[in-house]
Amino acid sequence: MIEKVVAKLAGVSKYYGTGEGRITALDRVDFEVNKGDFVVLAGLSGSGKSTMLHLLGCIDKQDEGESYIDGIDTTRMSLEQLAPVRLEKIGFVFQSFNLVPVLTAFENVELPLLFKGIDKNTIKSRVNDILHELGLQERMHHFPREMSGGQQQRVAIARALVTNPILILADEPTANLDSKTGADIVNLLIELNQKKNITVVLASHDSVVLDRIKHIVNIRDGKINSHS
Amino acid sequence: MNHIKLVIIASRNLKRNSRRTLITVLVSSAGFAALAIVGGYMDFTFFGLQEMTICRGFSSSGGTGHIQIVRKEALTKEEQYPMEFGIADNDILQETINNSNKDVKATVPRIEFTGLISNGERATSFLGMGVKPEKEIKLMNYWDDVYKNSKKNVFQEEMYKRLAMSPQNGVLLGESMAKALGATVGSTLMLMGTTVDGAVNAVDVTVAGIINNSMKTVDRYYLVTKIETAQSLMQTDKVSKILLVLDNTCKTDGVLPAVASKINRPGNNAGYSVIPWYQLAEYYHSVKDAYRIIFGFTGIIVVLIVFLSAANTMLMSTMERVREIGTLKAMGISNRWISMMFLYEGLFIGVMSIVVGLLFKEIFTLIINNANFEMPPPPGMSSTYFLKIYPAFHFLPWISLLLIFSTTCSGFLTLFKIRKLSIVNSLTHV
Repeated sequence: MIEKVVAKLAGVSKYYGTGEGRITALDRVDFEVNKGDFVVLAGLSGSGKSTMLHLLGCIDKQDEGESYIDGIDTTRMSLEQLAPVRLEKIGFVFQSFNLVPVLTAFENVELPLLFKGIDKNTIKSRVNDILHELGLQERMHHFPREMSGGQQQRVAIARALVTNPILILADEPTANLDSKTGADIVNLLIELNQKKNITVVLASHDSVVLDRIKHIVNIRDGKINSHS
Repeated sequence: MNHIKLVIIASRNLKRNSRRTLITVLVSSAGFAALAIVGGYMDFTFFGLQEMTICRGFSSSGGTGHIQIVRKEALTKEEQYPMEFGIADNDILQETINNSNKDVKATVPRIEFTGLISNGERATSFLGMGVKPEKEIKLMNYWDDVYKNSKKNVFQEEMYKRLAMSPQNGVLLGESMAKALGATVGSTLMLMGTTVDGAVNAVDVTVAGIINNSMKTVDRYYLVTKIETAQSLMQTDKVSKILLVLDNTCKTDGVLPAVASKINRPGNNAGYSVIPWYQLAEYYHSVKDAYRIIFGFTGIIVVLIVFLSAANTMLMSTMERVREIGTLKAMGISNRWISMMFLYEGLFIGVMSIVVGLLFKEIFTLIINNANFEMPPPPGMSSTYFLKIYPAFHFLPWISLLLIFSTTCSGFLTLFKIRKLSIVNSLTHV
């Protein structure tokens, strides 16, 4: 079977600062994610895992090397040019959930669909379905402040999934949750990966995550140290 | 994209920072109310100025009336002798106009003439106006009818009454002229002038009253006498012009062609120019232009304050929502759409400010209009008046547009900020 490459970084380097104070966040990294993979980028704080996630998600630009998403060469595209690529192909789950505080769970989830120009009825049914699937039917019309951390993160996952992206990127999704809720969230992502063949790349150093995922990429000082 | 959703987000964000929104709306609505009240004051001032120009005038020429009739040659040629281009058949002309148009309330004939005035020892030149005092009072009363907010100019009316009751050759002198000639009420003076034949003539006149004109140069050379006295001095039965007083200034343009066609009919001594008041009112136009500049400048300052206030709110809002903006950008929502959200917020502030501003405007207008604030006499006038604010409905759409434009533009400012925001840094912004 030919595995389809969903995202690829080739010889990618990323630096912060200039001159003597320049820090190498990523150093000539080569990395590929295939369709249906569930990969954890693991490493200590400052190891470069979040930077790698940002480059995979097209929300930051590398200083050297090439990047591809779903076969599209994104190397020379600006972040604004990449906006439609992100909207179409990538779903993000953030450490602090990053929900729009003035919108309800339903509205937060429908937000990316509204910008995709999908008709009203499709949006409604798709949002309803995904919220039901993630067990949020009771919280549909609640604002983020009215929900627990775990529920907010579920809404964030629903928002990431609702556009049917080819890649879900989760940056420390359990960091702001207690261990039980964190485990629930990881289990949910695993379940989605297994049931729907959704590709997930997750950056974390949380044991709750590391204990549950097989494919772990260890990053150290901006380089991929090991695969498991 | 569903704009309704953006509107919902914008409105909820404004609600989220309700105190800041309230302050911005209050500042903007105060700006709206200020502009609307200034507009109302402008209307009041221009109306007053217009009616004063028509009824009272600002110089020796008196009020312009709504329409003036003169011989066409008087406008294009230089007279070789006095009253060469005067109106000879003025009584018939007045009758024709009065009978043909119900909108004409009165006709007021006048003679303009010059000469010397002497007390026997000293002589000085004068600019004279021959009038029918009772008709001039009618012209003044038109003002009092339409402009009830003004205090009646009792003094001026009294002077015309005195002239009307004076013997044949009564005269009203400017204060400075009276002083120069040592004349008081009852003094006898001599008017010297040129007749229509070019001969020198003189008539004795009695001072019926001394009038005050705030323009010193006019005051020094100005006198008013009865039309018959001026005609007797010039040995003519002509008049220089006939003023028409209408029952409403708005009717001027409507009456103008009707009168013109009536008096210029073939066989009716064709050759009269019919001139509306606004073509004769240089002072009115110059004052109006000056006021427009002043009010326009005030408007610019107010709009600038509104813009800065709204811009401050928008930028503060952007700063507070850096993480939210970063998240939307990460989701693939373009800067344009995110800015649109802020534009809607600006639009909302504008709309709310208009509603609140209208309320403020009505309240303040009601207070001012009922407070009867006495204003000092305007330039060239001696009577005070009560300050009024007119509704100025025609200004409101423009003020609303300006307000909406400035608050929405302030939302547009956020585009620059949003463009510069790094997605990665925004996501972790606290």
